[in-house]
Amino acid sequence: MRHALATFAVLAGAAVACGHDHGPAHVRGLPNKDDKPALRTGAARSPRLANYKIDAKLDASRHTISASETLTWTNGGSDPVDTLPFHLYLNAFKNEQSLFMRSSHGSLRGAHASDGGWGYIDVRSIAVDGVPYQLRFTDPAKLDQTVAEVKLAAPIPPGGHVTIDISFDDQLPEVFARTGYKGDFHMIGQWFPKIGVRVGPPGSERWSCEPFHSNSEFFADFGVYDVTLTVPSTHGVAATGVLVASTESPGGTRTFTYHAEDVHDFAWMADPYMDLVKGTADPGDGGPPVEVRVYFRGEQREYAHRHLEAAIGTIEKMSAEYGPYPWSIMSVIDPPVDAAAGAGGMEYPTLVTTGGDSVYARPGMHLPEYVTVHEVGHNWFQGMLASNETDEAWLDEGVNEWADGKVMDELYGVRTGAIDWLGWQAETYALRRALADDPAHIPSPIATASYAFVDTSAYHEATYASTMRALHTLELTVGSARFAAAMKAYAQAWAFKHPTGRDLFDTLGKELGQDLTWFFGPVFHEVGGLALSVRSTACRPYHEARGVIGDGKDRVTRGEIESPDTGAWTCEVVVQNTGTIHVPVDVELRFEDGSTQRSTWNDHGDATWQRIEVNHSTRLTEVRLDPDGKLQLDQATQHDLRVDGDGAAGLRAGAWVAALAQTLMQAVGP
Amino acid sequence: MKAVGLKDMIVAGPRGVSRYTGTLFAVFVVQSLVAIAVMLATALVLAQVFSHLPVFDDAVDGDLIALVECVRFARASMLAVLGIVLGGVAMWQLASWFLAGGIYGVLAQRPEGRRDTARAFGASGASTYLAYARLALCGIPGWLIVLAAWIACSGAVATRLEYALTTWDLVSSLIIAFGPAALLWHLAATVIDYARVELTLRDDTHAPGAAIAYGRALAFVVRRPATLVHGLLGHLAWLAITIGSVWLAQGHPMYGAEGAITLFVLRQGVALARMAVRFGVLAGQVELGRTRPAPPRRVEVKVQSEA
Repeated sequence: MRHALATFAVLAGAAVACGHDHGPAHVRGLPNKDDKPALRTGAARSPRLANYKIDAKLDASRHTISASETLTWTNGGSDPVDTLPFHLYLNAFKNEQSLFMRSSHGSLRGAHASDGGWGYIDVRSIAVDGVPYQLRFTDPAKLDQTVAEVKLAAPIPPGGHVTIDISFDDQLPEVFARTGYKGDFHMIGQWFPKIGVRVGPPGSERWSCEPFHSNSEFFADFGVYDVTLTVPSTHGVAATGVLVASTESPGGTRTFTYHAEDVHDFAWMADPYMDLVKGTADPGDGGPPVEVRVYFRGEQREYAHRHLEAAIGTIEKMSAEYGPYPWSIMSVIDPPVDAAAGAGGMEYPTLVTTGGDSVYARPGMHLPEYVTVHEVGHNWFQGMLASNETDEAWLDEGVNEWADGKVMDELYGVRTGAIDWLGWQAETYALRRALADDPAHIPSPIATASYAFVDTSAYHEATYASTMRALHTLELTVGSARFAAAMKAYAQAWAFKHPTGRDLFDTLGKELGQDLTWFFGPVFHEVGGLALSVRSTACRPYHEARGVIGDGKDRVTRGEIESPDTGAWTCEVVVQNTGTIHVPVDVELRFEDGSTQRSTWNDHGDATWQRIEVNHSTRLTEVRLDPDGKLQLDQATQHDLRVDGDGAAGLRAGAWVAALAQTLMQAVGP
Repeated sequence: MKAVGLKDMIVAGPRGVSRYTGTLFAVFVVQSLVAIAVMLATALVLAQVFSHLPVFDDAVDGDLIALVECVRFARASMLAVLGIVLGGVAMWQLASWFLAGGIYGVLAQRPEGRRDTARAFGASGASTYLAYARLALCGIPGWLIVLAAWIACSGAVATRLEYALTTWDLVSSLIIAFGPAALLWHLAATVIDYARVELTLRDDTHAPGAAIAYGRALAFVVRRPATLVHGLLGHLAWLAITIGSVWLAQGHPMYGAEGAITLFVLRQGVALARMAVRFGVLAGQVELGRTRPAPPRRVEVKVQSEA
């Protein structure tokens, strides 16, 4: 007993001792500036309507930032503008009255707001073209302070510019929703006043500058960012863009200057313990390679290499599919494990945060890799194709999710894209489909504004999984090669613009050469799903018709003797679709002799069922709907029906369950 | 009386198993019957849902996607299967009081011949059944302590378990989470075993109460660490057989109904081996239990009323 206790004490002590204590932070060597242009090749890609110069200083012990910002904004529309609205995202974490906290109840993606970790932004002053103004919150009740605006004395004409000078202070929240601190780790996003985006057709242009809701992400104009960051000398920094200057500053601090072009956001990370691994990715356009960096803490080194491989693979695959990655650097932040739920899994231009590091994600279980693939993939679907994540979140999240599946398949094998561990294998699309909810159970269509979903679960299911499954269904229906070409055309036509769902549908319809409203309408704009099943099957012996046949002198009565059973069978199958989405359905019939017979139920219209009758020399044994697995929108469980029941698998499962039960019995009894 | 050591207890195991193999088989058959009932009930429930869906065949054959689909498709049936398993275990728990009493009785009385062995088994099982039931009630505080230890220790390392990055992180956290509870569980189970031995050995002569037997067994086990080591060796052998069989079963799928039967038979072999280990442990406990001082006699006082 004493030996056992002693052994336990030693193990417990060793376990505690091996915790991730990094000791005191040390002053780091001054990093060299990046000897690279912000854009790898070519000239400006975007209209650059919102250009920011920011000078910020981080107080790492108080988790505060003191900053000044100069925004040069151009009215790129055709209507004059007399109001300038700004996102003040950090106010989402100010108190429980913000829309974000009311909609999230202080919890997002498994992370929870801490009681003492509130965050906010104070705008000390704002001046437009040198004239001081007052910012006013747009929420009439002033409960939510994530959007504020300036009413201008004189409108800005189309093509006109203004310079806006803002000084502000940030109190970072303890991270639970993308931005904030955890211990010494600082992940800083959505931290500066950011102007909204003009949207809509000429003549009815308006601002898109929505309050920060827990379901919504971000939307901003492209521009050039010159950002100077002053941090403690002990801290390493990673940020959007390229490092163009680094100098020692007074008070044990350093100042880093970053420059980014044709981006619509700027995020950065500061931490005293981060290490770095690097690699290069070749976007395949003949230009210089992309430098890929993964920042991680020492205990996560094993995972950092997995993230690096995934990031390089994503850049190369997506560059080939949707156009070359245009920037020089891609930084992947692997947050400390206790900050990963809050800070991990977020995309910013040229910088993303990843996650999934866990002993449970053994090599072969590709969750960490998937997070990296998804976030790096966002540099196309949102970074370049800067759709409105608030109004049409599916257009970046869902489309990216679909694209990620292809990357995972290519990087880790079609059958093993998601899992290849101890003999268990899972394909990415198939696993997402198996884990997804039935779209018919979501009370909002895919094309719903993120804040208008009934809850976060519905938002996630529709935006991510349903969109991925819808696009995969369309891809397999029209052919993968054609669909890939159409998606490439969409990506290239709308890069560095603000595409909408309509733009995607129009481009796909045009490129695929067909009117796809029959698909896009019900799938993206209606509640419901695809619900295929075999309603009934029946086979009877085949014989010539019996009864009174013919008229007049030709009339004969034929019975069993005149029309005997031929030995062949007449089989009838009824298939049905009780969902709202109607697509062509392949139906395969299998017979006792091993032969198969295929037909297509062209369910474009409103037909909800189909009767199939066949004569065959042997009985029908199995009916398979969608035998090629094209219809990813439907759960496949009932797609394959055996005519005669077979309980062998049930018996085998029963034997397994009984063995388990017997083990439990032996644990409780003699 | 000669002192009985750990070696004697271990040696008593194979001796008991070889001498009373029929008793071992009889108990095992009862357990197998409960397992067969669980198997058939489970098969029936699953066949109701899946006999026409080939995707279930794939799931049983190890297709992860098919397995996920089937579980999500038939959650109610999966819950029913869980209920069947728990019901089977509960039924076995009730039966085990009789069966354990029978085994201890046979090992204690050392009867000769099938008839006497059967008589000793049945008589002991029947006479100690209620005492074992009372003992189970007396043991509840012990199990609550085990539960409390598990909850407290798991809570202490919950964050470490959640954020474990390496195998050592995981293993060390699991040791902390489960180690104290496992030690206490082993202690509580061993105490119950020795209390049963006393209730069986002294039933005719001293008729000890369950609470007294439990208290005396607790003191005895704490004074004699060999009791814990002996039981621990049994658990390790039990675990080795279980893990070894799982290891050997890797990559040997059993297809079709015949496969199901083969699978069941092979697993019964494993279960029999494990039960033999347990039987041997009980034999060792009886060997040591004989040497314990007898409990105080209960004095029955008869009061005549002077109506």
